[in-house]
Amino acid sequence: MSLAYLKDAIKEGDSEKLIRYVRLHFGDGNEERGAKEINKAWIEALKPMLEIPATDREFILQTLAEKDTATLAHLFFHLHFYFVGRSGEWIHDGNL
Amino acid sequence: MAISKGKELRPGLWETVNERYPGSMITKTDFVPLVKLSKPLGEARLAFISTAGIQPKGTLPFDTVHPVGDYTFRRVPSDSKPAELEIHQLKYPTFGANRDLNVIFPIERLQELTNERVIGSLTKNFYSFIGYNMDPERLERTLAEDIADAVEAENADLALLAPA
Repeated sequence: MSLAYLKDAIKEGDSEKLIRYVRLHFGDGNEERGAKEINKAWIEALKPMLEIPATDREFILQTLAEKDTATLAHLFFHLHFYFVGRSGEWIHDGNL
Repeated sequence: MAISKGKELRPGLWETVNERYPGSMITKTDFVPLVKLSKPLGEARLAFISTAGIQPKGTLPFDTVHPVGDYTFRRVPSDSKPAELEIHQLKYPTFGANRDLNVIFPIERLQELTNERVIGSLTKNFYSFIGYNMDPERLERTLAEDIADAVEAENADLALLAPA
């Protein structure tokens, strides 16, 4: 999907096209696999939280307050792959 | 340039790509003919350009997580040893290349061909980027033009292009 295709989808409010693109990206062209990858990342993000460990909320809040939205979105994509990597189940052909 | 059906190495590939990623393919209506080599290969300087995501260790990794791609390239010194290089690329199997980089980025083979005088010389740098780019216009306008300028500045006589 080209950038123009995605921008048109935003204009038209066509969320299905947009999420399909995200799934394809995370699934290396396989939409179903991409959906599973999204779930896998959230499960891996949930696991370390269950013991309610101390976390650096100051860092988090400062980052959210100070960084621009594009950088935070980029970080979000990085975090997806970080948690997928922590799962130990790497579906991608290559490496980051 | 139209490719006859009989010569397609992977029939149906483009249809698959267009179905999965509509509008991502570059459509060219003009045709730029290949330039004839102006001197024998044994006297020519060769540049190598690859989409394999190869880069010198310690340089900023290619942005393999970005949803619409990375439009930067890396210079890879042509006298590098494979051990000095690494791969950052999600979209092709790197298992074999991690064992022997030459299967995807034949730097040692090109060095050997130069030592044997089959090729006159190599440009100081080779060039590498990642092939996952969803904005073909930006790819052509920035990445392709920037690499072309860099190759020209190194006085290359010919360029070997290798998709990963």
